[in-house]
Amino acid sequence: MALVAAPEILSPYYRSLALAILADVALAVSWAFFSGPSRYLSLATGAFFGAGAYLTAIVEARVPWPLPVLGGALMGGAMALLVGALALRLRGPYFAVFTFGLAELAKHSLIWYETGVTGTVGRLILAPPEPWTLYYTILCLAGLAVLTALALRRSRWGYALAGIGSDEERAETLGIDTTRVKIGTFALSAAFMGAVGAAMAPRWTYLDPQVFNPFVSFQTVIMALLGGATTVAGPIVGAVFLGLASEILLLKFRYLYLLGLGLTLIVVVLALPSGLAGLLRRSSPSPLSSPPAGERAG
Amino acid sequence: MSPTLVVDIVVGGLITGGIYALVALGLNLQYGLMRVLNVAHGEFLMMGAYLTYSLHTAWGVNPLLTLLITGPASFGAGLVLHRLLYARVLAGEAAEALESRSLLLSFGLLFVLQNAALLLWSADLKGYSYLAVPLHFLGSVFPANRLVAAAVALAVSLAFYVFLQQSFLGKAIRALMQDPEGAQLAGINLSRVHGLCFGIGIAMSAVTGSLISMLFELTPFIGLPYTVTALVVVILGGLGNVAGSLLGGLILGLVETASVYLAASDIRLIASYAVLSLILILKPSGLFGR
Amino acid sequence: MSMKRREFLKTTAGGAAAFTVLRGKAWGQAKPVRIGYTLSATGPYSVGAGITQGPNYTLWQEQANAKGGLLVKGEGRRPIEFISIDDRSEHETAVRFYEKLATDDRVDLMLPPWGTAMNFAVAPIANKYGYPLLGPTAVSNKIKDLQLPYFYALLQQPDQIMGAFAGILKELKAQGKISKIAIAYVNDLFGIELNASAATALKEAGLDVVDVKSYPLGVKDLSPVLKGFKAAGVDAFVGLTYPPDNILATSQAKEVDWNPPVWLAAVGTAFPFYRDRFKGAEGVMGIAGWNPKVKSAGAKEYFDAHVKKHQKEPDRWASAFAYASLQILERCVAEVGLDRPKIKGMVDSTEFQTVAGPIRFVKGSNVSTPGMVGQWQKGEFEIVWPKSLATGTPVVPKPAWA
Repeated sequence: MALVAAPEILSPYYRSLALAILADVALAVSWAFFSGPSRYLSLATGAFFGAGAYLTAIVEARVPWPLPVLGGALMGGAMALLVGALALRLRGPYFAVFTFGLAELAKHSLIWYETGVTGTVGRLILAPPEPWTLYYTILCLAGLAVLTALALRRSRWGYALAGIGSDEERAETLGIDTTRVKIGTFALSAAFMGAVGAAMAPRWTYLDPQVFNPFVSFQTVIMALLGGATTVAGPIVGAVFLGLASEILLLKFRYLYLLGLGLTLIVVVLALPSGLAGLLRRSSPSPLSSPPAGERAG
Repeated sequence: MSPTLVVDIVVGGLITGGIYALVALGLNLQYGLMRVLNVAHGEFLMMGAYLTYSLHTAWGVNPLLTLLITGPASFGAGLVLHRLLYARVLAGEAAEALESRSLLLSFGLLFVLQNAALLLWSADLKGYSYLAVPLHFLGSVFPANRLVAAAVALAVSLAFYVFLQQSFLGKAIRALMQDPEGAQLAGINLSRVHGLCFGIGIAMSAVTGSLISMLFELTPFIGLPYTVTALVVVILGGLGNVAGSLLGGLILGLVETASVYLAASDIRLIASYAVLSLILILKPSGLFGR
Repeated sequence: MSMKRREFLKTTAGGAAAFTVLRGKAWGQAKPVRIGYTLSATGPYSVGAGITQGPNYTLWQEQANAKGGLLVKGEGRRPIEFISIDDRSEHETAVRFYEKLATDDRVDLMLPPWGTAMNFAVAPIANKYGYPLLGPTAVSNKIKDLQLPYFYALLQQPDQIMGAFAGILKELKAQGKISKIAIAYVNDLFGIELNASAATALKEAGLDVVDVKSYPLGVKDLSPVLKGFKAAGVDAFVGLTYPPDNILATSQAKEVDWNPPVWLAAVGTAFPFYRDRFKGAEGVMGIAGWNPKVKSAGAKEYFDAHVKKHQKEPDRWASAFAYASLQILERCVAEVGLDRPKIKGMVDSTEFQTVAGPIRFVKGSNVSTPGMVGQWQKGEFEIVWPKSLATGTPVVPKPAWA
């Protein structure tokens, strides 16, 4: 596939762009395989991403690649399990706001700890892995995320999740252990986010607690929703579209980047009610671009 | 704890809380009624702040008087935006698509407003000094401008609360919040009321911004932290409950101020999040939520 | 010749001349020198970038191109062409764009982005592709850990800055003008490192620090900290601050009715904006590095040119160093051309005379510029420490807040 050959044929800049977009795909897909069917709109992406990134900054010098990425995954998953028990008792907007606070909480707690205990803040990654290593790592993560998403929706858990999304009480009365399904999927999603954060960190050399960034949360949500969160292709399309549009706007319109981005969003929302993936569906139906079976059956 | 400390915490908390309450009220109206999560809420605050800043520094208009301009102007802008954007999304959509589409619209608005502010006022820090004089009372000292800002914020909040309880439109809004179908059957025009509420919400945000311009420096990027605070207060008090937002704002202000005085500035956000978590554990739909 | 013929010849001659001139603009005009960079136009870094670096980059380009361009050894003058984007205060964006500049655009030279964190992010790329990068807005002890031969930091680093702070405070204490010092610092890398340096420097100077408080970025209320200092009888406030919290602290000091004899706040104080915001900010001290009165060659001319082009003054710390970094590049290109290893060789081995004084690098650090403290006096940020470079004497106690 072209993506695999990319580091050979593309110049470093285009490889970097592809890497960044693949990372976004991984984030958007893993966000959507939980938040899409369950309708629990998570804004915690920044927290898990940041955790993975900061962990890499701390251990990278002492630990061979790709262990930091695994560490990031474990970190993200653990955090999600920890807060999931409380967070997933909350509904809709309450869940969203609470998860948003996670990134802020993680950041300030880390700063507090660092200033009080270690006396410094921020870490330098002095010997990062080769760029192509990072590229393939992210490519693998993106691929794994997509495979997980596909597998999940065919599985019992996937159906359970969709059931939770349409009517949680009913799902419970049907005997589904909603708590386990929700927390489990949330943690799986978070593990991917932590892994992506861990894999991206070496690119930035210096990591400080500002890496727990709410914009990562927002951006992931935008990409997934723009493409259509109930399909697997939706987040992929959304991430690619937004990534490319963003880059083009950035390079061409120095002072109107935000304006262009905002207007693009508004236009797409008003013109395409079913998201970008809706366009795909009409042209070529496939498992990737269809909503889960439960929804189709009506 | 010395009496001065208590005064510092209580008065300081009410000052911060009053401002939090006002910025949250507007969001609560939009989210509680229309399920529109307006992430651009803080950007309207930012615009209101810049408007007051410009009126004051260019023509010497008293910042408090500018409220008479920013209020109505932003209300009008809110009506227009609702008509142009949100009404089309809200018309006959399945609930989940509605929320995600209006969320995306709001993000779009957020970017557009930030860029507009950037073009109009540039990224340089802008600010002015107004009533930055110390007032001594109750054994401590407080700045006049913060006291005035908080007083105005509380006044507007209370006025709005009274409006909701007493006026016809207010009752219509409350009816729609409690029972959308029943209210419509009773003849209330959903779309009209939505538009008005959206406009009021924007106006409250812009007015808060005008007040804030008296206290802090402005850049086009000050909006988001206020949106976040507004969201926290709305959730804390209970979505859709106006009194909840008022009380929630004051509580949050007190908690934050207390944490800064008793511990350290660093843990202000940790403390507020901890309190939020505590309340949500005990009551997952907020203090007064249904 | 007949009239018609003369007219014809005139027209064709004129046309030919115009044609030659126009073609000359395409042919005779030299190939531009392409210089790439990113600067933050949006996001939290945009304030600093727009004051300290952006204006200097464009001023320098304008001045050079007015003379026909940058003088390149052996090639005459070639106009400067900038290739730049807004990095949106996002490290990933900057990293990617600098990769693009190096491999895709293959620019001749690179200029740095704004801020320590950003410089950390892009310096490895510049280094990898052999582009000397002279950073006027990077301050951190960690720069040395990077060990990047192609990265140079022009500003004074934490130890030098706090050495200057300690120096002036010690002097003031010896004169009996202050006795109790308190520190408030922002818990970002910058504030934390300055605080660590402060602890050592002040202790060595035998100075008494009665309280140290930290606060987060984006803090909205520093009055609890200030009230605490006031109650403890502090007479010298040391703020290790960024511009937004600096302004907040300064305005709140007046609001809590506290006017300590010494108000010394790190970053932001040297901005003309700060002076104007506080009606002259008479007596307020901060990190200094330059003012139009210093004896460096071209200082006043630089000041005037900056004001003329941008309708705003350069700041009194890093602006001049940003301009100086460009002067250094200019001189290197004139003497060794655009061969980057040669430029690096020259940067490593030369002492440059700039508007910010002499600058010489040892292992990537500027060893010529000592830490300095300035004080706003009658509209100018006089350098009041060290005495050898002073343009004014310290005024302590500071006057009441305006």
